[in-house]
Amino acid sequence: MTPRAGLAARAHPFTLFVVVAGAAALAFIVPAPAGPLALYALTAVLALITGNAGAVARAALVCLPLWVLLALLHGVGGSFDPRSLTVSREGLAAAAAQGARLGAVATASLVLFAAFDPSRFLDAVAERGWSFHAAYLVVATLQAAPRFRRRAAAILEAQRARGLRTGRGVAGRVRALVPLTAPLVLGMLTEADDRAMALEMRGLGARVARTPLAPPPRRAGDRIARWAIGALVVAGIAWRLLA
Amino acid sequence: MSPRLLALIPSAVALNLAIGFVVNQLGLPLYLDTVGTVIASALAGPVAGAITGIVSQTVRSLYEGFIWFPFAAVQVLIALLAGFAALRGGFRSVPRSLAWGLVVGALAGALSAVISWFVFKGVTATGVTAVTILLTRLGLTTPQAVTVSSLGTDLLDKTIVFLLAGAVLRALPERVLGRYPWARRALAR
Amino acid sequence: MNDAAPALVFDGVTLRYSAAHTPALADISLTIRSGEVTWLYGALGAGCTSLLLAAAGLAPGHTGGELSGSVRALGIDPHDPRGRAGLVGRIGFVTAVPASQLSGVAATVREEVAFAPANLGWPVGRIEAAAAAALERFGLTRLAERDPAHLSGGELQRVIVASMLALGPALWLLDEPASALDRAGRESLRSLLAAEAGRGAAVVIASEDADTMLGVADRIVVLDGGRVALDGPPASVLAGPAVWQHAGGSTAIAALARSAAGLAEPVPAALLPPYPLTADEGVARWS
Repeated sequence: MTPRAGLAARAHPFTLFVVVAGAAALAFIVPAPAGPLALYALTAVLALITGNAGAVARAALVCLPLWVLLALLHGVGGSFDPRSLTVSREGLAAAAAQGARLGAVATASLVLFAAFDPSRFLDAVAERGWSFHAAYLVVATLQAAPRFRRRAAAILEAQRARGLRTGRGVAGRVRALVPLTAPLVLGMLTEADDRAMALEMRGLGARVARTPLAPPPRRAGDRIARWAIGALVVAGIAWRLLA
Repeated sequence: MSPRLLALIPSAVALNLAIGFVVNQLGLPLYLDTVGTVIASALAGPVAGAITGIVSQTVRSLYEGFIWFPFAAVQVLIALLAGFAALRGGFRSVPRSLAWGLVVGALAGALSAVISWFVFKGVTATGVTAVTILLTRLGLTTPQAVTVSSLGTDLLDKTIVFLLAGAVLRALPERVLGRYPWARRALAR
Repeated sequence: MNDAAPALVFDGVTLRYSAAHTPALADISLTIRSGEVTWLYGALGAGCTSLLLAAAGLAPGHTGGELSGSVRALGIDPHDPRGRAGLVGRIGFVTAVPASQLSGVAATVREEVAFAPANLGWPVGRIEAAAAAALERFGLTRLAERDPAHLSGGELQRVIVASMLALGPALWLLDEPASALDRAGRESLRSLLAAEAGRGAAVVIASEDADTMLGVADRIVVLDGGRVALDGPPASVLAGPAVWQHAGGSTAIAALARSAAGLAEPVPAALLPPYPLTADEGVARWS
């Protein structure tokens, strides 16, 4: 693991999750369209200030097709005849609001992923005494995913080399999925058998609290940030209910 | 949670993600990102499947942003229905897998449409939204268009997922199936 | 240490897998003592792996099937759910495929080795000391900060053994732990096994690699068709002709002597059993 720099990487892992949850909640609380747009701008600026330009760009890339589709779905009315097309101001505003919500949440979560350190996360969960098994599942999946992807690519190549036709029509390609998936699943189950035994012998099922090896420090700044976000969400809800 | 599930679930989630990759490589207009969820349900029961579904959506959210996380509800629904299908021998033959795939596709499509409309104002994955836009141009209201496109996509996608899961389960050696009591009922041998 | 309580006792144990026609273990009775290296030897399917799985309480629990008879590991029934809890961390269990035994969550080799002690709730200081000692013992200190996913098969195999070594187990159950090791790796494994037995642990190791095991094993148990076919000191069991019937193999030198005996007609006295087991014995006998 390369050491990660920046405020997001130094923050407690739970703080980053609270930021994402807070952004998601506020995105739907603040009045549209100005509120979500302002929230997106704020998220992006905060991300840029904390050195996460990459996450801002990647989030925009993820959202770009959705923005186009939202604009087409809500902002442009009419049939297939180009002369019948109408542009709706309200529709575009609704699309912009929704697009900004997605943008804010995507930006916050990609900052989280860029700063995510699996070992710190596991230790933080173990230190709190929360479900280590749930955290294990997420981190083990993050480690397994690239391995499976490589294996899937290798099987695809091997089956093609053995004459499997993967190029003929949708039905043919769907049929081709069986000889691709079956070895992947068989391999996965064999590996899961071995790993289950190894995990059991290495005490993962033991009924004792796991020792956190190097838990992230509990800083006052993290605590203040988490409470502030929580208070902001509660205040936002109260304001919308009362206003 | 038992070490068996702790070992099986990350692999099943990775399978969901890897099949998504293969589908992409083959240029198919599908997701098939619930194959691992359905296989986990059929082998180890609906709870294992539901956890697989939730972890799948969590990990995808870490990669692509938490915007799609609400669709975890659809993964859980599919897992529970796949567990029920397994109890009823739903993976025994091609016609059975087909029938269960259609049922699950209809219900999953309905739930997707609801989430898509209320949380996302009608957008989901790009291909589906393109169909939605096409339908509004044909005169459907946006909610109608969202429902029709979600249902259509999920019917096709989940039917193929169930057919594929059934074919793979039936191809597994007896030695492997013997370790999963649910698999016996799913295939009703 | 031979007067110590037995570390592993099999009494009339039969194990059947659900999809198999013949039992994997057939009426096995065997006592393994602490402080000894016991070498399990047999052809593929003879039952060596099954015996290790049954000893650890993993078969039939993980594999499916049925087990009859009694197994006691370190005085505890490993097939009893309550008993199992008392065995976790006291058995060093290693199978032949190192990649699928990784914890799946460790970012470094050091974290991998610390995984089991952390699961058992050891204090941090004790975990760090045990992990550092295990890494040092197996020459892995220079790999400590590496990502386990990027190690070679042989390095990974040593990491897996080290991650069990950190627990300081009283009973080792190893299945082909040298399959991916190079010559130096096999040499350090041999000295590790000898040291563990010297420390008072019971070591049970299934291996096809006679040349590695010879000299470190105190006893060889040859399995054939799920039964104990031969049992005794390796020098006498391997040098006799019976091992060829049951396991179809022996050391490289013995194999040479045996094929030479098959070629010569009539068989010269020098090529009759007992076969030489090491190059030194061969030189002494034939020069």
